[in-house]
Amino acid sequence: MSTAVTHAPAGKPGKRSAPIKGRFTPWFFAAPGLLLLLVFLVLPFVLALVLSFTDQRLVTNEELGTDFVALRNYVRLFEDDSFWAALRNNFYFVAVVTPLQSALALVLALLVNQKLAGARIFRTIYFMPVATTMAVVAVIWSLLYAPDQGVINRFVGLITFGMVGPHDWLREPGLVMPAVMLLSIWQGVGFQMLVFLAGLQSIPLDLYEAAKLDGATVKQQFLYITLPMLKNTTIFVLITTTIYAFQLYTQAQIIASSGASAPIDSFRTMVMLMVHEGFRNGKIGYASGISVVFFVIVLAFSMLQRVLLKEERAVQ
Amino acid sequence: MTTTKSQPSQARRERFARLGQYALHTVLVIFFLFPLLFLFVSALKGDELQLLKDMGSLNAFVPYGDISLKNFSHVISGSNFKTAFFNSLLTVSLTVILGVLINSMLAYALARFKFKGRDFLLSVIVALIIIPFEAIAVPLLLLVNELPWVNGEIGWLDSYHVQIIPFIAHAFSIYLFYQFFIALPKDLEEAALMDGANRLRIYWSIVMPLSKPVIATVAVLQFLSRWGDLLWPVMAVRGDTFATLPLAMQSFFGQYPRHWGDVMAFAAMATLPTLMIFVIFQRWFVRSAVSSGIKG
Amino acid sequence: MASVTMRNIRKVYDNTVEVIKGVDLEVQDGEFMVFVGPSGCGKSTMMRMIAGLEDITDGELLIGDRVANDLPPVDRGVAMVFQSYALYPHMTVAENMGFGLKLAGSSKAEIAEIVGKAAEILHITNLLDRRPKALSGGQRQRVAIGRAIVRKPGVFLFDEPLSNLDANLRVQMRVELTKLHKELGSTMIYVTHDQTEAMTMGDRIAVFNRGIVEQVGPPMELYHNPVNTFVAEFLGSPKMNLLPIKWTRNGDEACIEVGGCTIPWNGNGHGPLGSVSDDLLLGVRPEHFDVFDSGDTNGSIAAKVEVAERLGDIVLLYLKVPGIEQTLAVKVPEEGHLWQRGATVTLRPRDKTAMLFTKAGPRVS
Repeated sequence: MSTAVTHAPAGKPGKRSAPIKGRFTPWFFAAPGLLLLLVFLVLPFVLALVLSFTDQRLVTNEELGTDFVALRNYVRLFEDDSFWAALRNNFYFVAVVTPLQSALALVLALLVNQKLAGARIFRTIYFMPVATTMAVVAVIWSLLYAPDQGVINRFVGLITFGMVGPHDWLREPGLVMPAVMLLSIWQGVGFQMLVFLAGLQSIPLDLYEAAKLDGATVKQQFLYITLPMLKNTTIFVLITTTIYAFQLYTQAQIIASSGASAPIDSFRTMVMLMVHEGFRNGKIGYASGISVVFFVIVLAFSMLQRVLLKEERAVQ
Repeated sequence: MTTTKSQPSQARRERFARLGQYALHTVLVIFFLFPLLFLFVSALKGDELQLLKDMGSLNAFVPYGDISLKNFSHVISGSNFKTAFFNSLLTVSLTVILGVLINSMLAYALARFKFKGRDFLLSVIVALIIIPFEAIAVPLLLLVNELPWVNGEIGWLDSYHVQIIPFIAHAFSIYLFYQFFIALPKDLEEAALMDGANRLRIYWSIVMPLSKPVIATVAVLQFLSRWGDLLWPVMAVRGDTFATLPLAMQSFFGQYPRHWGDVMAFAAMATLPTLMIFVIFQRWFVRSAVSSGIKG
Repeated sequence: MASVTMRNIRKVYDNTVEVIKGVDLEVQDGEFMVFVGPSGCGKSTMMRMIAGLEDITDGELLIGDRVANDLPPVDRGVAMVFQSYALYPHMTVAENMGFGLKLAGSSKAEIAEIVGKAAEILHITNLLDRRPKALSGGQRQRVAIGRAIVRKPGVFLFDEPLSNLDANLRVQMRVELTKLHKELGSTMIYVTHDQTEAMTMGDRIAVFNRGIVEQVGPPMELYHNPVNTFVAEFLGSPKMNLLPIKWTRNGDEACIEVGGCTIPWNGNGHGPLGSVSDDLLLGVRPEHFDVFDSGDTNGSIAAKVEVAERLGDIVLLYLKVPGIEQTLAVKVPEEGHLWQRGATVTLRPRDKTAMLFTKAGPRVS
């Protein structure tokens, strides 16, 4: 208790600075993260925009250098059949996967949310594919899709009483996208199930009790309570699934590299094309153009989500 | 109301509904489990011909015949699985550990310090969440190709650090940490201040031990996405030396003649860590899914 | 030990909101000082400035004879018990109490000894290995106090420490804290909004209101001689009755007119000499009335019984005086009287108890 008696040399009356917070400490905490974000996120992002207007190459040619080419990359992009094919593949994938996967996720969440013995075990099983590495998933399904006597072929034959003959799923241009879709849904649906489940569990139980007292049937409870209360969750799931779907790469890439697949344009995605142009062909400028288009699409969906959710909040 | 009459039929209807649910669950369980079962059973089948022949029947899911770890030992001795596994383990765990540290520090600064530009930084970081890695991968490749490393060499390609450093700072992780920190009671930190702790000490001895839930969430999300990433290794890694599992598997899978038993053994071992982590940290996975919902 | 001196201390948030508008106060060495006031009056902010958790905008803070404005909290020789207790959930009780010592670089043996002693004082030796989660509210409270004791501070700061306890425990801890103060002899500053705690625990009370100190003094002095209506009303329960009156003269005698009755001034001190005035308030505490069944209204106030609350030992009467809006609260001993609703009674303030205030607040008598 001797502290109080000693005279502190520091105490200058009238000085009004903050005693607790040194000036540099917030930057001590923030600097490493900010620096990394700046160099590895902000800078490449800005570079993508800038480079998409140049003919930048991965290995720079000393004699030619890099030139500003204005919109040439974009013009070429829109004349490039492979780009349109990739864009179409992406939208095809999104159009099928997003609604199917979201609907299945909702069904799974509703099922798992029932008071049923073993519900937790079912939840665990449905989520296991999410914890399985995507490249592994693609490899497993590649074998399941094997031509002739493959598991999928046998199963399809069985349920159609042999009307649908064996197909070479990964080699037929019309079938390779559906094949990728199925394995993608299988792998990803567990995650959206959990999001829906969280949404379901955040609905106050007394709403259902009140509805029961009002004489609502189970079906009516679902229509008039569950669905409206899940509106925000549903918007969130739909949009994030769409964005994830646009990022489609790994599973299609594994199939492409298996050496036995359909013509590349029948299933190549934008990200695959971007890697192909930027990395294999070294056309960084051109690939940056693809990146920008890709980003604009993702941004549009993010904005849509924000608008939809904000409107919802405003109404409330 | 005629409740007395409807009671027995009500009970029966409920029993039926439950039976129906179980039937549905059975179908779903089969749908979600059969590829995984197929993976592990096939990996155990030492006889390649038998494996291919079984595919046409339910035998594909039955471990019988030449059951052994032969395929696994093949893969371990005859491919670069060991190196790739080590590379994955090293790069992913370093990314996750450094990421937890650096992202939480930045989030702590945003949550607990008043300084000029804080609100601006926060909104920038929230905006950065939108940028998917795919959109910056190509310019990032160009960038790391020009960056100097500590030994004076130019270009990071084909290394460990090229697979670690760009992924440490992560806007969404920062946001998750920030959300968690602002909800922590301030007086714990004030009590520590009275106890003579400085900011670093408070962060390390008070805030971080209290943040286990969000640390686990961030770590799980980052682990899953880094462990499974193929896009970046495809571009930034050339040879076998620094290849991680997805990349190594891609090349192993593309080799001819293909031995499916070995491919399946490779795949099984590649995903075993994620499945194990899933089993151990199941509830954190649930939390990850839920907290990713905050993003909206 | 240490005294705490506040010299014209001000606190302004964001250059606009002034929460402390100049406080001059001296807490003596070894004194138990209570800061009391309604929420938002600035008492907690004042304490947090002493602790070093808030910057001081203006003025001078001395702890002991050191200017402490710019000292970090740990160098001020103060310890604080938080309202929420703020126990570190991931540490055991012993680790909680020893954390400050550990930071200061004390050896393990030293820490164990000091923590052990503090635990003995507070009778929590058997809890040392537990986590806060496994403690009851009262036990957590003790640990929080223990953590403060361990640091051997010159000044203890308590921020509404009893508000999270149930009523029984609160009374018990009140007594124990008073005892602890006697044992340790340290300076203690105690923030509360509860006037009972203020009255029972403080050597002196500082009544805060809207960023200033209205009055400082020993509890009974404030009770009997409040400087204004705010202090008068804040201390005591039910609160002091304030009745609008007219100050008149009846020959040589000073009189007050209240509710149509004129009674001679028998209050505490002189009234406003001379003049006649009608914007005054008569302040009388509920226990300071003599109540008569009825009869002679001469020299007393007539009132009607509205409600009688029987508390066992006493009866709380709520009375209506004709021509006065507010209800009068009067405390009388329980003597079996009926106090029927609507019955007329007469009242007279006891000698030397009534006070006069202007309607603006300050005391005049």
